[in-house]
Amino acid sequence: MSTIHKGLTVTVTLHEDKLTDVNGQLFQFRNELKTNREQFEKALPGTFFISWLTLPPQVYEEQEQLPARIILMTSYVGDKNQHIEELVAFLEPKLKQVFGESDEFPITYSGKSEMIAFLHDKSVPNTFYSGFKFISTADVEREKDLKAAVWEYAQQMNTDLEASQLPPSKIKQKIEYYIANNPKLSWAVAGIPYAQKNKIQMLLPLVIFGLVMACSIVCILLSFFVDALFVKVMAWVFPLFLLFMGGMLVLLRQNEKKPHIPGKELSDEEVRKIVALETNPVINEMTVIAPLKKGWIRRAFLSVSLKLVGLLAYFTYIPTVHTARWLQLDKGKRLVFIANFDNLSEAYAHDFVDSERRTKNMAVIFSHAFGFPATRWLIHKQYNHRSEYMKGVRAHQKITQFWYSRNQYESVENLKRNRAFREGLFKEMDEEAIKKWLLTI
Amino acid sequence: MTLEKKDIQGLMVRGHGNLKSARFLLYTCSDPTSSCDFLKEIVPLITNAEEKPEKEAIHIAFTYEGLSFLQLPAPLLNSFCREFKEGMTAEQRRAVLGDIGDNDPDNWDWGQDSIHFLLMVYAKDQEQLDKSMLRIKEQTDRCGIELIHTLPTGLLQHQKEHFGFRDDISRPVIRELLKETPPENLFTFPAGEFIMGYKNLYDEYAPAPYVPFELDTTGLLPVHPDYPERKDLGKNGSYLVFRQMHQNVHSFWKYMKEQTGEKGEAIKLASKMVGRWPDGSPLARCPMAPDPALSESNDFGYWDDDQAGLKCPLGAHIRRSNPRDHLVTETSKKDSSEMAAKHQLLRKGRPYGPPVTPELDPQNIMDSTEDEQERGLHFICMVTDIRRQFEFVQNNWVSFHKFGGLENDADPIIGNHYDTGQYKTNEFSVPHYPIRKKYSNLPNFTLIKGGAYFFFPGIKALQYIANHE
Ligand code: HEM
Repeated sequence: MSTIHKGLTVTVTLHEDKLTDVNGQLFQFRNELKTNREQFEKALPGTFFISWLTLPPQVYEEQEQLPARIILMTSYVGDKNQHIEELVAFLEPKLKQVFGESDEFPITYSGKSEMIAFLHDKSVPNTFYSGFKFISTADVEREKDLKAAVWEYAQQMNTDLEASQLPPSKIKQKIEYYIANNPKLSWAVAGIPYAQKNKIQMLLPLVIFGLVMACSIVCILLSFFVDALFVKVMAWVFPLFLLFMGGMLVLLRQNEKKPHIPGKELSDEEVRKIVALETNPVINEMTVIAPLKKGWIRRAFLSVSLKLVGLLAYFTYIPTVHTARWLQLDKGKRLVFIANFDNLSEAYAHDFVDSERRTKNMAVIFSHAFGFPATRWLIHKQYNHRSEYMKGVRAHQKITQFWYSRNQYESVENLKRNRAFREGLFKEMDEEAIKKWLLTI
Repeated sequence: MTLEKKDIQGLMVRGHGNLKSARFLLYTCSDPTSSCDFLKEIVPLITNAEEKPEKEAIHIAFTYEGLSFLQLPAPLLNSFCREFKEGMTAEQRRAVLGDIGDNDPDNWDWGQDSIHFLLMVYAKDQEQLDKSMLRIKEQTDRCGIELIHTLPTGLLQHQKEHFGFRDDISRPVIRELLKETPPENLFTFPAGEFIMGYKNLYDEYAPAPYVPFELDTTGLLPVHPDYPERKDLGKNGSYLVFRQMHQNVHSFWKYMKEQTGEKGEAIKLASKMVGRWPDGSPLARCPMAPDPALSESNDFGYWDDDQAGLKCPLGAHIRRSNPRDHLVTETSKKDSSEMAAKHQLLRKGRPYGPPVTPELDPQNIMDSTEDEQERGLHFICMVTDIRRQFEFVQNNWVSFHKFGGLENDADPIIGNHYDTGQYKTNEFSVPHYPIRKKYSNLPNFTLIKGGAYFFFPGIKALQYIANHE
């Protein structure tokens, strides 16, 4: 068991002339959600977000027509098999109705177990980011309630002269005593399950990668003294990796020198249609899908970059984002980006370009997509970077016909602060650290 | 790049503080040709940035509806940004600005009606203002232009706003206006953040309205620096955001008194909400008591020693409307400062209505009896990008109740406060030892009474508008 967040992406192609029908079905599900949200919450206990949309055909390299698609993207906690089973148990009729429109759907569909196999079969890997790592769906509610209850209890200390003079450690003890002796809150005494295991699990690929590279560096030195095959082979790994990345970068630079083809701006009317769906007061969603710029190196470079970003997922930080993912479709010719974020896209998109560091990070991925700004050596801005970037995001933003978010009320900062409070409970801390911790309440 | 001050309307560089009397006039036109005749007459009277008027200053700005009414060419009209074209009261803009419930434009006094342009008349005294008004009335009457709303203004003592706090202390400094190299600790802004036609913080020219080359038959306008096939109508202009905000002074101080029970504590709480003491001194520098020596202080930040908001709460009005060097969502001071700098406003507002007490000392305001007087602030700001600057601040920082990791807190002073059962924006939380204090059920201390987005053109652009074919 783990509480690591993951993303499931399932996609199939669709005949262009079926787009309107499928869009209609998905919009209908969206409408139904207004009345049957409770059922979703009950039946999908491990699911945070669902984005379900159609993607119209797009043109790659000015000539190749990329097919229309249906894309289902979920964010969940725990095991993939279990998540797919959960989805199918509740959504099977809807999944059948929508995916049934695709030629890729089995003609002789026999029921739920085939749907499970279908979703497995059509799922594609993605690079996933979570802004509130290791918090399970159930934790969202109960950590919020825990903190609210503790604040209610503790706020009287502000007016109680004696209590407000107590040192931080005594205040902490009082709070812990209150929790331990309150049957509704005493679950928090047990600490956070899987905390260590989760971290190790998430960091493992990066640690292995680091160890291989470190081992290779050691072998380079050893190869001067030891004549063993393993040492000789390993000694090549790090230089080859560097050579490979360097070579890719040089090829990318050649590609960057080709004249930049600016994309078209989305009409006001289209933008209005997209933003009209952003009605949630706290969390909203954005899906950006763009064909890549010309040249195989773009596809290859993006693919390697996404793998490396995936390795660093534990350390990645994107402000105000609950979950996000990137992936390539259609033999790497399309970039898909989806984010569930706090507030509105008009505000959120600024997070990408308003600081120099962020601009560079974003360029690593988005500069490969058509309609996004030109770069130099991948991360250096060219003229009009910001306006081209904002134009690119909007021009490729898609309407997500169906969107479900389990949590509707807590921002990602709220979730993190609630978790920080829980993490500090029953933990040894010095007085200064406790003072800081008390501020999480 | 030096500023073409002769082509810039003077309000961009000065607030006309010496011209104590002012009135903002909202007009609707009846005929495009005679309206252009009026413009031809008024353009030479518009005060430019080179002048230092001592008697009178006049400025003019247009709504999108106004420019359309004047029958400007379609490509020109289309080149304005979406927010300006939609107007402040459009559905999407309401959602972004949080103009719902009490602040719904349906309840406004103006903003939904056909406003075509705004004249801002500043004069050294009431007598001069009356004279200017008479002259303008004669001109507008002659051209079939109807004055539909007159918005009086009145500067208050000690540079205060109606709640009793010193205002207009923090202003972004435009680099190109400085005569000498600024000191290192002074953050300055490139002109393009506030004046079109110059480079902005992204080192690019802000999006601005343009005219296809061939439509500028008199060759009046400069060529657009990025697109040689366009003439730059935006050059030396800006967008002017106008929101008339009623201030409920008695309800404001009543709330503070109810929550604290004592005048001194009430002032402390109100100051926590503003982020400055009534005399202007910032809580970030003097959290315990006001310090008159710091009443104009503006060289402070929050990153180094007030990240938690123990001095100035994260939800305080000045900390939300300009988080300076500390955004909770950023991981460094540098990133925070870079981000915050991209969302600055050049404020030019003026209060209106009689003060509750002449001195606006909160101690006395609290003793005064409630009245029915209409008073508030004509909030005005200049930006080159309505969405990135004004709307971002209003939406993401002022209105969003989750700003800075907060839970149910819109801006305590100007936020739209409500509780729908599911969503609450009417709390104010103050980090405190041992436990955070939360003030709840904040009423709306301000109410929007009207508002619109205007284009505030440069002088040549004005001439183009007046003379276009
Ligand atoms: C009746 C309405 C308002 C009142 C009473 C009010 C009051 C104040 C006061 C007392 C200050 C401190 C003085 C200073 O730092 O210059 C201030 C600063 C400021 N206000 Fe407002 N304000 C109002 C509306 C608004 C609105 C609508 C906005 C923008 C959406 C806004 C944005 C700002 C900004 C950007 C600052 C400067 C903050 C800084 O740089 O530290 N204000 N306001």
